[in-house]
Amino acid sequence: MSAGTLEERPAAVAPPAAPSGARQVWRRLRARKSALIAAAVLALLVVLALAAPLLGALEGQDVGAYHDGLVDSARGGVPIGSYGGVSGDHWLGVEPGTGRDLFVRLLYGARVSLAVAAGATLVQVFIGVAVGLAAGLGNRLVDSALSHLSDVMVALPMLVFAIGVTAVVPSSFPRPVLLVFVIGLLAWGGTARIVRAQTLTLKRLDYVAAARLGGASRLRIARRELLPALAAPVITYAAILLPTNIVTEAGMSFLGVGVTPPTPSWGQMLSTATTWFRADPMYVLLPALLLFTTVLAFTVLGDGLRTALDPRAASRLRVGRTGRAARRRKRGTPA
Amino acid sequence: MRQLPLISRRAAAAVAGIALVGSVAACGPKEAGDAKGGGAAGDPKQGGTLTVLNREPQSDFDPARLYTSGGGNIPSLVFRTLTTRNRADGAAGTKVVPDLATDLGTPSEDAKVWTYKLKDGLAYEDGSPITSADVKYGIERSFAGELSGGAPYLRDWLVGGERYQGPYKDKGGDGLKSIETPDAKTLVFHLKKPEGDFPYLATQTQFAPVPKAKDTGTKYEEHPVSSGPYKVVRNTGDGERLLLERNPHWSAKTDSQRHAYPDRIEVKSGLDPAVINQRLSTGSGPDAAAITTDTNLGPAELAQVSGDKQLADRVGTGHFGYTNYLAFNPRTKPFDDPKVRQAISYAVNRTSVVNAAGGSSLAEPATTFLPNQKALGYTPYDHFPAGRTGDPGKARELLKQAGYGEGAAKGPLTITLTHSTAQDFEASPEIATALQAGFKKAGIVVKLQGLEDNDYKQRVHSTKTQPGLFLGHWGADWPSGGPFLAPIFDGRQIVEDGANFNSARLNDPAVNDEIDEINKITDHDAAAKRWGALDKKIGEQALTVPLFHPVYKRLYGKDAKNIVISDWTGVLDISQVAVK
Repeated sequence: MSAGTLEERPAAVAPPAAPSGARQVWRRLRARKSALIAAAVLALLVVLALAAPLLGALEGQDVGAYHDGLVDSARGGVPIGSYGGVSGDHWLGVEPGTGRDLFVRLLYGARVSLAVAAGATLVQVFIGVAVGLAAGLGNRLVDSALSHLSDVMVALPMLVFAIGVTAVVPSSFPRPVLLVFVIGLLAWGGTARIVRAQTLTLKRLDYVAAARLGGASRLRIARRELLPALAAPVITYAAILLPTNIVTEAGMSFLGVGVTPPTPSWGQMLSTATTWFRADPMYVLLPALLLFTTVLAFTVLGDGLRTALDPRAASRLRVGRTGRAARRRKRGTPA
Repeated sequence: MRQLPLISRRAAAAVAGIALVGSVAACGPKEAGDAKGGGAAGDPKQGGTLTVLNREPQSDFDPARLYTSGGGNIPSLVFRTLTTRNRADGAAGTKVVPDLATDLGTPSEDAKVWTYKLKDGLAYEDGSPITSADVKYGIERSFAGELSGGAPYLRDWLVGGERYQGPYKDKGGDGLKSIETPDAKTLVFHLKKPEGDFPYLATQTQFAPVPKAKDTGTKYEEHPVSSGPYKVVRNTGDGERLLLERNPHWSAKTDSQRHAYPDRIEVKSGLDPAVINQRLSTGSGPDAAAITTDTNLGPAELAQVSGDKQLADRVGTGHFGYTNYLAFNPRTKPFDDPKVRQAISYAVNRTSVVNAAGGSSLAEPATTFLPNQKALGYTPYDHFPAGRTGDPGKARELLKQAGYGEGAAKGPLTITLTHSTAQDFEASPEIATALQAGFKKAGIVVKLQGLEDNDYKQRVHSTKTQPGLFLGHWGADWPSGGPFLAPIFDGRQIVEDGANFNSARLNDPAVNDEIDEINKITDHDAAAKRWGALDKKIGEQALTVPLFHPVYKRLYGKDAKNIVISDWTGVLDISQVAVK
């Protein structure tokens, strides 16, 4: 009974760290136009990716269909027509060599990019939070073991390792799932470090001490006291991880160890497109532009989220402003 | 055993070629400039520096260690051989002609003993005469373990070849007893069995003379003694940078094939293919007088070049006896059923495949296993006519008979196609996906299994791990049906532990006997007809699905003249190029 009351009170005191003021966060986020535009762009992209089969049907094209007649076979298979074969049937032109529809392939590519990146981010966050919390709350032995493990994960040359792993796993294993796990399992070190550092700070705070004194188990403290307070930094970090994961997936597909053909992916398109940049610039520009836009949008949104979520940064801003103003006033008085 | 199919298509095309046995036409000496080569206007003249921009370094520049067919391109400038390939454009370039020897060799009745006479007035770069003992010594060196790398034929063909360890281990003896040198000008070769193609083998660099007194073993590659028109002045980075200058003791009087127009030849290798083609198209400074002997235009580069009139005029076209095909393993299900193999043969859409391989300028659809060259015995046939884009109807009908299809007992046919992930237009993902899309129309579900290139090569060439269906490719060591068909279909060439190329593991006594019979023929044209007939007969079994024969487009510098590309090498012959 007493434990319960002890717990409830700190929870009420917690607000400075926890994003309990969801409304406040939303208000701060809304104030940043760039973040809103980025969010809108991403929402549109997600809708387009989800609706890829529908949009394909609307255009009347299939993702895997070859159109031998739409490429100039004698000239290396360059699309016939201007801008890479743009037409009423093929809104963004066709792929050189195969004549496959680029619009549909880009949309299906978005599915792969977004799904793999989102899945990998979830895995990273889950493992990172679990390891970070365990390190922060555990005894010295556990802490040093887990911290070293995180350091090793951060130092690991991710791409090289990922290439090695994908080469070993049999090709019958679904590739997107494999990519989620490879990227997810190899890049959780950063999250774990941040969560551990945050946990070490938080656990010295009075409300956590109170909960501990009240007899709450470590698991309970982690769940009830720390997790809500960790949400802000973790969400911020996840917003940075996501575009990184998109780039990693594209990089792996670019190198031929990512998604396997005929499944389209932006990285894979870029890889074949690199030789075509003179003969058919559209083929390079489209996936490059999409990749650029997506990564930029995620980065801007992540930046906005961080400012909206991180009260310390926000308060630092406030302090800074008043400080400057105060100094100016001070300087003004003697004169 | 044969290494050629293991190397990449570009590299394969870079090795140089040989020509026809027993053909009389190509033996007369040619006057300088009579070749109908392309390139910059004006008669080719002597002088200047030719630059060679290459991908692969000319490593192991020792005649014993080079694996060439026809003596190679750059090696052939330094090493003369008993015979060599005819330096002429197109099909004429598939002929074999005498080089150091006075003729193509005199075979015994059963083609088991071959006798050669050396020309008069042959000399090395130091002026000393070339003798038959030097040629014998050059061949013996190639048996030394430390100088490995050459083709396996000498070991397989010469009597006692399988036991001989080379001159360094066998110091006291007379060397290989199956090579006799009764006098300084005569060589007699004794073979285990009839080999009508022996003059083709004699074009390889192992048949170049090596003076025993100058042999420095593994260090010989640093400065091999030249018998050709150029000598090595500098060799840095194991063949990455080569500087060749005129050999004053070489004489055009004894060499009707090499022209040797430039005074100097500089080889710069280790370059990226895109860089090579970009430098050739820009042609600034020394690159104007540059060529490449190992890099061709890719589809995107071709698209760009063909849109530019000036560049398009500087593109040579080369053919090389080569076939890319689908290989079945008839010992696995469902490919043990001939109906399934036939259905797949009918369903293939060669237009998509050709486009995936770079389009109609870089690949020609194939329905025969033998390449479409007369020298190799090309005999047109199309046992399972799929037309340009496949015959899904006929394929479905055959599958139905075999019990596959919608609602049939075994359901739709589902197969796995193994390919490499290397993007080299050989066994690459583009070709596999194009096939997959074509087979879909016939109701065949294809799963793709892309393997890392080395893994792919290892698996498809081992009888233990060989997949049921994979993308294969094959080129011959010289333009003849024998080295093209025998490793793939001769039952005695099935290698159980090692690199096996008889993927179908065909061991048909009738086929084996016919191969032996044709090897006895020394008249190349007569042999070619028999090879063609054999190919047609084997084709009925649908053990492979021929897909396409590659074509090569070669860009050269704007000052390069007298461009000659033979059908046998597919690359421009460096010994013919002039820059003045």
